[in-house]
Amino acid sequence: MENAGLGSKVAKYWKAFCRFPVIPITIMTFMVFVAIFANVISPYLPDEMSLVDRLTPPFFMSGGSTAHLLGTDNLGRDILTRIFYGARISLSVALLVIAICSAVGTTLGMIAGYLGGRIDSFMMRVTDAALAFPALLIALLLGVALGPSFFTVVLALSALGWAPYARMIRGEIIKLREEDFIAQARVIGSGPITILTKHIFPNIVNTLVVLMTMSVGLVILVEASLSFLGVGVPPPTPTWGAMVSEGRDKFATAWWISLFPSLAIGLVVLSGNFLGDWIRDKMDPKLRQL
Amino acid sequence: MIRFILLRIFQAIITLIVISIVVFALARASGDPVMLMAPPMATLEDLDAIREHLGLNKSLPEQYWIFLKNLSHGDFGESIRTRQDVTHILWQRLPNTVSLGLTSIVLGLVLSLIMGVTSAYKFGTWMDSGVKLIAILGQALPSFWLAIVAIAIFAVWLGWLPTSGMGTPAHFVLPVLTLSFFSLPIFTRLIRSSMLEVLDSEYIKLARIKGLAEKWIIWKHALRNAIIPLLTAAGISFGTIVTGAVIIETVFAWPGIGRLLAEAVVSRDYPVVQATVLLVAIVVLFVNLVVDITYGYVDPRIRY
Repeated sequence: MENAGLGSKVAKYWKAFCRFPVIPITIMTFMVFVAIFANVISPYLPDEMSLVDRLTPPFFMSGGSTAHLLGTDNLGRDILTRIFYGARISLSVALLVIAICSAVGTTLGMIAGYLGGRIDSFMMRVTDAALAFPALLIALLLGVALGPSFFTVVLALSALGWAPYARMIRGEIIKLREEDFIAQARVIGSGPITILTKHIFPNIVNTLVVLMTMSVGLVILVEASLSFLGVGVPPPTPTWGAMVSEGRDKFATAWWISLFPSLAIGLVVLSGNFLGDWIRDKMDPKLRQL
Repeated sequence: MIRFILLRIFQAIITLIVISIVVFALARASGDPVMLMAPPMATLEDLDAIREHLGLNKSLPEQYWIFLKNLSHGDFGESIRTRQDVTHILWQRLPNTVSLGLTSIVLGLVLSLIMGVTSAYKFGTWMDSGVKLIAILGQALPSFWLAIVAIAIFAVWLGWLPTSGMGTPAHFVLPVLTLSFFSLPIFTRLIRSSMLEVLDSEYIKLARIKGLAEKWIIWKHALRNAIIPLLTAAGISFGTIVTGAVIIETVFAWPGIGRLLAEAVVSRDYPVVQATVLLVAIVVLFVNLVVDITYGYVDPRIRY
């Protein structure tokens, strides 16, 4: 493995993107678009109530109207609008959590892998413990201790989420550490920081991108579970998980309240997983066991 | 081997101490518990009396020490919401979660073994695609939604099974099925890939040349080796079951630890939350310890 230049890296990425899975990318792009422009494209306000229109079924059913395409909930709020706004929460939480986890995890993994010895084995025991511990429990604990808020959700999901990155990156570093080009860099007098950032990091970018894409679905699912249990981003902000929970008791009669938000969750997670699998096959097939 | 086991036990204890410090620190970060407990008309003297009673007027290290001492007696304090002894509530609820969890783990294992082996053996056929589809959907669909749909179909529309609660064996069907779905996709994918690898090996070819019945080759010779990676996954996926229990018990109003935790979280009943989290932490650490030791026993290369 050579220290690839920026040009060849771009070329490789471009090649990988030439045969892309159309449907997952379309869904993802659509969701990102919806999340960014929720306030422009939504027909209503997310917490606009209209008690006259409460429990209106979706437009294709008798009694439904095109004024509320996907129907309304118990308080007469427009489901479609709330799904659009919910996309904001799900996607921004996922983006922030993945950014934090990958940064923290990569740094720790690089330090552990490069230094080795006692520090490495200590850090890996901590990582093992973090991997084994149920993330939802820590999230619930933090939710109670700090009170529900957007910040709590991000913190709760990041609290253990760095562990898979640390574990994987450390493994890569240990393999790379013994390569000739690292030894040569040392001979010409490069310090550890230069070696890690300039010579090792470009070689782990692939693994990192694969890990990041593959975790999108998982983060969105856990965020939805937190909102479902009532410790997500607090109301009146609409979140998909909370919407499913609100429609829970009415599923037999007003199934649309919880069906559409859960379809949104399912679609985003599914396309995230497909994209992750595909990027992995393209860029780093040896991670297939993941 | 003894050295390895002792080392692992020592590490598990250290981890547990770290977790207890985190839990303790967060308890103090959650705001003044006295304000939550005292009636709205309480005077300042009353508040001080409660503080004195709870030991909150002592220094933090002292409080932590008392916290640990109480823990070692199994004393988790009392619930803010119901004023009941937390240990008592936990013991009451624990059997319900254990019975639900164990049945689901066993069912999930059996189903994923059958599905994983079939899909590897029938590689590339419609059966393989079917199993892959179930695994992919199972990983993407929110399981709380799956539970709601199951209730709507089997309990509300068809009326075959009760919607929630526990009591008769019929109450077990839906919660167990949906909870086993938490670990099913991961297990199935894992067994499928390791089975594919094993089926490609020389000794399976030899067994075939020898004229051994396919049934024996698959379920005895191949599966024995293919099942080893599952052991590592079992430790980690135990956490998934715990997560699942919280959600599934909430949806089905199952009187177990998971629902207790979810309710305590919503009403910010910190003593109950910290006791549940510590209890689960101990169980998770213990399961992983057992998995580690078994692994070291099965595969001597792991011992270090």
